[in-house]
Amino acid sequence: MRGALTIISAFFLTISGTAADSHPAHAVLEQNCIECHNSHDKKGGVALDQGPLKLDDLELIIDVVSGDNPEMPPKRDPLSLADLLVLEKWVRGGATIPDGTVLTDKRLADRKWWSLQPMISPSIPAAGQDWARNEIDRFVFAKWQEKGLTPSPEADSRTLIRRLTYDLTGLPPTREEIEAFLFQSEQNADTAYAKLVERLLASPRYGEQWARHWLDVARYGESHGYDKDKARFNAWPYRDYVIRSFNADKPWSRFVQEQIAGDVLWPEDPDGVIALGFVAAGPWDFIAHTEVGEGKLDGRIAKHMDRDDMVSAVFNAFMSTTVQCAQCHNHKFDPVSMEDYYRLHAVFAGVDRADRTYDLDPDTAQKRINLETDIGRIEQEIRKLEKKTEDEGGTELKQSRARVAALKTANLADLKIVPEHGYHSAIVKSPDEEKWVQVELAEEADITIIRLIGTYDNFGNIGAGFGFPVRFKIEIADDEEFETNVRIVGDFTKRDFTNPGVRPVDVTVEASHRSMQFVRITATKLPHHNNHMFALAELELLDAHGNNLAAGVKVTAKDSIEAPNRWRRENLVDSKFTTGGDPKAIAELAKAHEDLTNILNKIELPERVTEIEELKKKKAGKEKKLKGLPTGKMVYALAADFNPRNNFKPTEGKMRAVHLLHRGDLTTPGARMNPGAPPLWDGVAPEFALNSINEGDRRAALAHYLTHAENPLLWRSAANRIWLGHFGRGIVDSPNDFGRMGMTPTHPKLLDWLATRFRETESVKDLHRLIVTSSTYRQSSVADPDKAAIDASNAFYWRANRRKLRAEEMRDSILSVAGALDLKMGGPSFQDFKFKNDHTPKYWYHLHDPTDPETHRRTIYRFIARSQTQPFLTTLDCADPSQMVAKRDETTTALQALALMNNPFIKTMSAKFAEQAGTIDEAVWIALGRAPEDAEKDVLKNYIEKHGMPATARLLFNLNEFSYVD
Amino acid sequence: MSIKHPTRRQFGTTLASSFGGLALTDLLASDGALSGTHHPARAKRVIQLFMAGAASHVDLFDYKPQLEKEQGQQWDPGEQVELFQSSPGVSQQSYWEFQRYGDSGKHLSEPVSPLGKHVDDIAFVHNVVGQTGVHSQGTLLQTTGFNRPGFPSAGSWVSYALGSENENLPSFVVLPDHRGFASNGVKNWSSMFLPAQHQGTVIRLGDETPINDLYRPDSITKAAESDALGVLRALNQQHAAAREGDSRLTARIRSYELAAQMQLSATEALDVSKEPQYIKDLYGLAPEGPGVDDTKINHKAEAEFFGRKCLAARRLLERGVRFVQIFSGNENGFPRRNWDSHDDVKRDHGPLSNGMAVGAAGLIEDLKQRGMLEDTLILWTTEFGRMPCAQRNTGRDHNPFVFTNWLCGGGVKGGTFGESDHWGYKPLDPNNATQVYDVYATILHLLGIDHERLTVRHNSIDRRLTDVHGHVIQDMLA
Repeated sequence: MRGALTIISAFFLTISGTAADSHPAHAVLEQNCIECHNSHDKKGGVALDQGPLKLDDLELIIDVVSGDNPEMPPKRDPLSLADLLVLEKWVRGGATIPDGTVLTDKRLADRKWWSLQPMISPSIPAAGQDWARNEIDRFVFAKWQEKGLTPSPEADSRTLIRRLTYDLTGLPPTREEIEAFLFQSEQNADTAYAKLVERLLASPRYGEQWARHWLDVARYGESHGYDKDKARFNAWPYRDYVIRSFNADKPWSRFVQEQIAGDVLWPEDPDGVIALGFVAAGPWDFIAHTEVGEGKLDGRIAKHMDRDDMVSAVFNAFMSTTVQCAQCHNHKFDPVSMEDYYRLHAVFAGVDRADRTYDLDPDTAQKRINLETDIGRIEQEIRKLEKKTEDEGGTELKQSRARVAALKTANLADLKIVPEHGYHSAIVKSPDEEKWVQVELAEEADITIIRLIGTYDNFGNIGAGFGFPVRFKIEIADDEEFETNVRIVGDFTKRDFTNPGVRPVDVTVEASHRSMQFVRITATKLPHHNNHMFALAELELLDAHGNNLAAGVKVTAKDSIEAPNRWRRENLVDSKFTTGGDPKAIAELAKAHEDLTNILNKIELPERVTEIEELKKKKAGKEKKLKGLPTGKMVYALAADFNPRNNFKPTEGKMRAVHLLHRGDLTTPGARMNPGAPPLWDGVAPEFALNSINEGDRRAALAHYLTHAENPLLWRSAANRIWLGHFGRGIVDSPNDFGRMGMTPTHPKLLDWLATRFRETESVKDLHRLIVTSSTYRQSSVADPDKAAIDASNAFYWRANRRKLRAEEMRDSILSVAGALDLKMGGPSFQDFKFKNDHTPKYWYHLHDPTDPETHRRTIYRFIARSQTQPFLTTLDCADPSQMVAKRDETTTALQALALMNNPFIKTMSAKFAEQAGTIDEAVWIALGRAPEDAEKDVLKNYIEKHGMPATARLLFNLNEFSYVD
Repeated sequence: MSIKHPTRRQFGTTLASSFGGLALTDLLASDGALSGTHHPARAKRVIQLFMAGAASHVDLFDYKPQLEKEQGQQWDPGEQVELFQSSPGVSQQSYWEFQRYGDSGKHLSEPVSPLGKHVDDIAFVHNVVGQTGVHSQGTLLQTTGFNRPGFPSAGSWVSYALGSENENLPSFVVLPDHRGFASNGVKNWSSMFLPAQHQGTVIRLGDETPINDLYRPDSITKAAESDALGVLRALNQQHAAAREGDSRLTARIRSYELAAQMQLSATEALDVSKEPQYIKDLYGLAPEGPGVDDTKINHKAEAEFFGRKCLAARRLLERGVRFVQIFSGNENGFPRRNWDSHDDVKRDHGPLSNGMAVGAAGLIEDLKQRGMLEDTLILWTTEFGRMPCAQRNTGRDHNPFVFTNWLCGGGVKGGTFGESDHWGYKPLDPNNATQVYDVYATILHLLGIDHERLTVRHNSIDRRLTDVHGHVIQDMLA
């Protein structure tokens, strides 16, 4: 078993590596082979970590690693010639490994990789002096010199304001903004540009745009996904938190720490809790967690997968490190061991994803804590007093209680319970509210007996007689409304009626009243089961021959809870009701109850009873106060404490045991793991040094690990994402993976310069400012065939990248130019579907009314369901909320053309647009931010005249120029 | 022993979709990512029949006389069994009679007997094993090869690898149960980290708009539409001319032409009304069409629903669609309209399996008579099986430990390739169970693709449809 000890022994071996009996070939093996060919994994049946080797043919070792296309090591560079020679010599010498030596996988300790090098601010190249505006340009220009490239001319002002406004806010500039900028640019281009940058960075729209980039990475969604895709109605505060953080230019380390352990590090700040929405944002298997639960293997698999999602999210997003590759074996390419990976699981071993409360007002939070503490203390006192009674009652009391319980169970045994329980009124607060249910016979008939049968529902352990009225009356009348000739045929309103359980209650009708058609049961005093309600399984109207004439007839009621199949009006006359329950046994149970009461009466001191009652009153008072507090708001986030649901229970801070799992298999657990994180830079211990057993301290330790000044990944990762957001490609174009399987930086020094500066300022807006004010960013996007021949994909930024609008930008732009965009910020998401909170919730997009102004908000405020993604946006390459999207796809398909031509949203917005624009001039200005050219004018004029402005608007939305930013 | 000079080896295909770059040449490409297949293909197209909710192998295809012997006795496999909902009940024989069919004498149960005619062409795999008994994960495992979200559907992989044969139709089409999506919804046909054009396109048969946004809104006249396309083309060409070298702009101009063609092609492909009556009968279509009464689950309606999808699928495949995914059964809800028969196998499996068998048998027959079965591969699958013991007398709980898949056409031969034990509880030979990876390795193989070489790098891993597993079921290859 490779436990934590492996790391120690690996370390030991390094030190003792010069020992006389060690062969240089061992190092070659450790670097290349031991990962798979160790005694545990034994890939291909071969282990090379301990002597004597059990191999029939030692030469095989050389055969598989040499030749033109060597079989080993798989998917990596073949061994160097020098290594091969060393290995060959060793094999010829008998391939020995001395006793007691165990070779270990050494690639793990290997941090010789660009992204793991300490970050040192590089010197700035003396290149492009005449052209460069800031340091970025110097680095970029230096690369051009290497490649033989030169800059493109600067883009014109109109292009720049459109590019900049889209990049920073995700919306098109208005005509007024464009004209003002063009005017100012003529006075002083640089000043005008700088002012524009500041205006846009200060705009609340900026946070909305850049939050969307981050939410892509955070795999943010508002339903669980998987089976029965339940909605998360409280996920949105996290989305608002991200917007708020970007707008406030929150220091990056704080932004990171809050999202891992904000509740621990800033307990007084509501953002500390809300930010935990990041780790919780991913999909979650409702059925596996709530129905199956941790008691079963499938439930434990779900918990494992849940933590895998958390751990992967944190490391891919903040560290661009794919730790998830170390789930079944050590990471094949990067220095992350299985131990490292499962230590990260241990960090999240005490938390789940759930709705949890937070208070925006610290005073209220304190009051809440005080009241909850008081209530807890009172409950304890009550329990203490009750225990005294129990102790004094001794065996007699115990036996009596047992007898009651046994009889209850025995009564259950011969019940034949039906799932169609019966009729159930609305639930009310007072027992005195009247409730009625009535039946209507097809025609008047003679009824001798009216039979009432109680329901059986084990909700709240009530069972037989659930909802049977304490007092009630039976009436007949000549009309449905019970207005004429109302007569009482059974009156039970004067005293309490003993609950009959499921035994039929027969009421014999007096001869004078037997002819009837409309029969109504009115409950005048409702039973108490937490709340009050009236329920009845069956109503039978029997004629003289005992035939039930009420079967299947029309049922009406004052109100009814319709929850098929269990509860609904029709169930009252469906001839289905729970039967059984031996009357003798019921009598016995009543007797046992009485005996128990007598025993209690004997031993209970009046003082104690009073005391308990007083305490209960006190408790009720506190509870009322608690209820009266402004309700804590809810956010879907990481939580150790939450309302349990079936088998989904809070840990309350108790850690689940996390074991090392070979091949990720839960049935063969290895050593139990302590919390820690991969030692990716010098001076990090693989395990956290924690003195506490608090769940939150584990996460706090991870938060500090991530934001450590020596961490080479965090700052590089973030700077690269911001760059990507502006240029459409990252300096490292695999933004979630800076490892050996990822891509390497095109401009390593530039990245390090940006990252070190970012570590110093921690300001995202500073990065934006640097980037957008650079000459590099301000180039024209026009292509040049000569330069394209050198660098076709523009990896070296010799021109600007023309970019297509993202799905959200497209929708927001259309709303904006149609004059329909509602800029209201924050709060619950708008739903552009019809929602039905079914067993499996429904998100029906096709039933949505696109003219509903509630949905004309920015797309970032849209409710994001996982199992049913929004078709229009999905077609436009919107990020899928079930995976981390570091970089959007950009496709061009016929289905996109259909969506942009025919979607009802387009129709609605075309009509709205037509209200804005009367002339061709206005239309082109609004849609494209410029005046129409003469040739366009003719074509469009002709079209408007023939087909009207709405059809023209639809056409404008579909122009390439609308979709692309130069 | 000699040392040969090592050479640098190729990594797997890297998916480079750099936006803004000039290298995006295949934006609308109907070609696949593979330039040609790895080896000669036996099959050109695939149709996946997915039974949502978990179909019972022991009541349909996997005959277990042992259960008849033990009928009503407490089922005891000699080990502790953890079931999804219940604890193991009594041994429960098939809820229907089995009879022998074909030259092989393969047993089929009564509701799926329509498949009897083709039983010798069907490759049954009775030893498929799953990973969990949770619907969502089981479904994802069978549709994407992974038991968690985040991975492309098999249809997306095939579309990505081979592209489409008809650019006027989507290459990967999904025909969901009209009553609702199966567990995970769209995740079962998402392209995830593959380019979005490889996601399944949902077609709602019988709907006024069978593909989202297929037709122009009523506010746009025919003339306005055709003039709009003309003006769009002119203005877009003008715009592109000033921006030379950006293939995306011309691709987008072309996409509007394709869209217009798709309106015609899709409409034509989905119009089954012109099919002769004997073909409609072959697929079990009801005279009253999709409006057939379904208030109570019944054989006639289920045959209509499933048969119509099979017929539409044939028409789509005929016209060059690469992969069609058909679902029988929706998500869990009331009343039940899926295969998750915890409470009543007879009530639900009866009509569902009979409707499926009528439609599938019609499909096989029709493909055969058109000469298409040779290169069209049918895969019948579900998220897992159901237990050999009863749940509440009339139902069965989940069985992820063994279940059945079957394949037909496209280069597979008939027979049984993998057996379950005498109860249908686990594989007969636990060391040689079949996994979804093996099924997909085989399907890709038949399509001319080496499943280990169809890779896309995503977050450090060269991802495959078959993860790091999968063996081609060689015996099954004709």
